[in-house]
Amino acid sequence: MGFLSGLSSPIVMGLMLGGLYALIALGLSLVFGVMKLINVAHGDLVIFGSYFAYATMTIFGVDPILSLVVGMPLLFAIGFGIQKFLMSRAFKISMEAPLIIAFGISIILQNIFQIFWSPLSRGLTTSYALKFFALGPLRIPLVHLLNFVLALVVMFLLREFMRRTYLGRAINAASQDRRASLLMGINNERIYAFAFAIAMAIAALAGVCLGLTFPFTPVSGIPFLVVAFGVVVLGGLGSIKGTFIGGMVIGLAQTLGGHFLGTTAQMLVAYIIVLIILTMRPQGLFGR
Amino acid sequence: MEGADVDMSQEMLLKVSDIDVFYGGFQALWEVSIEVRTGEILALIGANASGKSTLLDTISGLMHPVKGRIEFAGEDISTLDPFNIVDLGISQVPEGRRIFPDMSVLENLIIGSYNRKARSQREQNLKVVYELFPILKARRKQMARTLSGGEQQMLVIGRGLMSDPTFLLLDEMSLGLAPIVLNGLYGALKAIREKGITILFVEQNVRRSLMEADRAYIMETGRVVLSGNVSDLREKEEVKKAYFGV
Amino acid sequence: MKKVIPWLKQSSTFTLLAIIIVLAFLPVFGIPHTWLLYLFLFFSYLAMANMWNLLAGYCGLISLCQPAFLGLAGYTLVIFTWSGLPFYLGIIVGGIIAAAFAVVISVPVFRLKGIYFAVGTLIVPEILRIVFFLWKPVGGELHGGGAGYMLKGVTGLTLKENYWFALVIGIGSIIFVRSILRSKMGLAIAAIRDNDNTAASSGINVFGLKLYVFVISAFVTGIAGGIFFVYQGYIEPVSTFNVRWTMTLMIATVAGGMGTQGGPVIGTIIVVVLHFLLTRYEGISLLVQGLILVTVMLLAPRGILGSLRETRAYLAVRHLAMRISTRPS
Repeated sequence: MGFLSGLSSPIVMGLMLGGLYALIALGLSLVFGVMKLINVAHGDLVIFGSYFAYATMTIFGVDPILSLVVGMPLLFAIGFGIQKFLMSRAFKISMEAPLIIAFGISIILQNIFQIFWSPLSRGLTTSYALKFFALGPLRIPLVHLLNFVLALVVMFLLREFMRRTYLGRAINAASQDRRASLLMGINNERIYAFAFAIAMAIAALAGVCLGLTFPFTPVSGIPFLVVAFGVVVLGGLGSIKGTFIGGMVIGLAQTLGGHFLGTTAQMLVAYIIVLIILTMRPQGLFGR
Repeated sequence: MEGADVDMSQEMLLKVSDIDVFYGGFQALWEVSIEVRTGEILALIGANASGKSTLLDTISGLMHPVKGRIEFAGEDISTLDPFNIVDLGISQVPEGRRIFPDMSVLENLIIGSYNRKARSQREQNLKVVYELFPILKARRKQMARTLSGGEQQMLVIGRGLMSDPTFLLLDEMSLGLAPIVLNGLYGALKAIREKGITILFVEQNVRRSLMEADRAYIMETGRVVLSGNVSDLREKEEVKKAYFGV
Repeated sequence: MKKVIPWLKQSSTFTLLAIIIVLAFLPVFGIPHTWLLYLFLFFSYLAMANMWNLLAGYCGLISLCQPAFLGLAGYTLVIFTWSGLPFYLGIIVGGIIAAAFAVVISVPVFRLKGIYFAVGTLIVPEILRIVFFLWKPVGGELHGGGAGYMLKGVTGLTLKENYWFALVIGIGSIIFVRSILRSKMGLAIAAIRDNDNTAASSGINVFGLKLYVFVISAFVTGIAGGIFFVYQGYIEPVSTFNVRWTMTLMIATVAGGMGTQGGPVIGTIIVVVLHFLLTRYEGISLLVQGLILVTVMLLAPRGILGSLRETRAYLAVRHLAMRISTRPS
């Protein structure tokens, strides 16, 4: 019994962490599902969201969540621009071009972060970021619950958007059958740009949640890209439900691994798990 | 019901003039010209790789001719994007029954009315589609991938109608379908024509096509080799020899 | 011997030998120290760039895994030099260890295609970085911030000797790539580049070929890495298993011309020049590199050599050269 109660903390934390991971992975999953592109700059774009919130917090004293009022539209526009002006051209050039360009964007972002905010780690420290709430005998940081709830809300909203609006349906159609959607009168190029933009807006939110939960540095993008990638592969491409479950699995695996192997090994555990997933089930659990 | 009844003074809806189309590095269409008259059912017949699907794709804007032009209701559409062409009232039902598998029947139909002009007509068009294909109404909440082959074909035709077209293109709808299902589909085509929609369908089966259409073009290796009213074509020696084995 | 003589008689081989001899004697003739340094870097990077070009430009494998190979070779060197074994042995075994590692990780990584492959290979250096942060393969003193090591027994080496090692592996990589591309394997590689599936159905062992190229690239990259670390004298995980290496190789290959033999040479020149120009601007060097990469990829995706090949001037010159060389002597 003592063994199990010792596990309850990492289990609950793992599930909550899963919420954050699902939120981070959601943008990657959307882009992957629609355009079959793994945006290797995704992690860095999420961190951009974190740094933007940090900047508004330190310069204007605005609460990070409030800063999303500007942050989300900003990243929406950036995402729209990246797809419309960079990626759409890249797709026409070759199969490898989008990957290389995304890689370039990733490096550019990392360097920009370093120029403005130095390699020191930063965090979105707010009053509520330090609070805990009680769940039975456990004390869980409030931000973890916030992440989890936000993840659920965003996923629900995204699903409804994809089902009920013409734009959402068009994105859905374009991801299922490119040619048929063209014949419906759907302007695929514009749809891709919107999908990327929406993914980036979600990334902005994910960045704020991340910043509230963990400290981040200019190179934090890569570990979270790897985690997001693992979540997407595990959950199956383009599946919202799968992304959520994938997040839970990886979050759990990581906290349990860290529980048994020590905290410094936590990221290592996550990496190895993703590698194992890639080896065994590249098509995911829920994929099409 | 054959060619003799066709009104020769009908106006021209679509005019394809001498187009060359390249697919990748090689030439798929050579100086192809066809005319489609308003209100008719036109058949485009040919074997595999005869270029018929390429012609359809070019009309729909998925490909563009490097030479020649395409006019629809007097307007040059040769260089337009596919979504613009749908806006103008041309709708293609692609081959292979390309439903959206992870959407329901109703969702498939709704996305068919994505084009702005069609959105306001959505409910009326939906009614029309349900009248033509009652089974779609019965199965409207089901996932599209659970439908049978014939039902899926009805679904893609219905979806094509949802964009409120004046000109409907169908690419090889009969592939893999039983004759009794086909009868129903061809009957639906006639009903669609009654509603004022011009139809062009692409087929490999010469005999059936000549039964169902008013006029036909026969294509081989990227060129139009024969054309005319179906009654005339049926009598022609080449057709008899090549396709009916006489 | 009979085969060698006609080979020697070819004018191209003569030129190549002449160039090599000149290059080898450069330090003896006394060129400035910084020039020698940049030449050293040039040949080290060239070897790695040639390998990346073989992988990405010819086989379509965008490998983000190269830092892992050179890092592993480096740490093998550490173990060797700390155990009193000669460093040159360490370099060679380092290459072998890197190649063996490539075989091991090919199991998970080669099940992935295209973009999956790239991200899969991204994970590997990240894993190694943490591993070598935590694991201290040999006991004793640490250098710098995290689990770094000084290499022992290499302080006696001058830049001259390091340069010669780099020269060997650099030129060696050129000859190696050339011979692969001219062999039957080269034809197979060209077939794979056009279309994986058709190549496979023609009986080409696509998987085996890609694996071979992957492992060989690991070996050569490992050796080049070893040579680099012998020069640097120390190794530590953060700068070793770092995406900067990949960036360097990517720019070199893309800017020069992916899938061409001369591309990496031109690209590496660009990279070294860039290195030289940006020494004082360390803080923005990656930014500049990233911008260059994106710009080149969008505007001249075939790189300098690739774009040049399509210009009329080049085609005219080449036509002329062919006519001259086929004139009967």
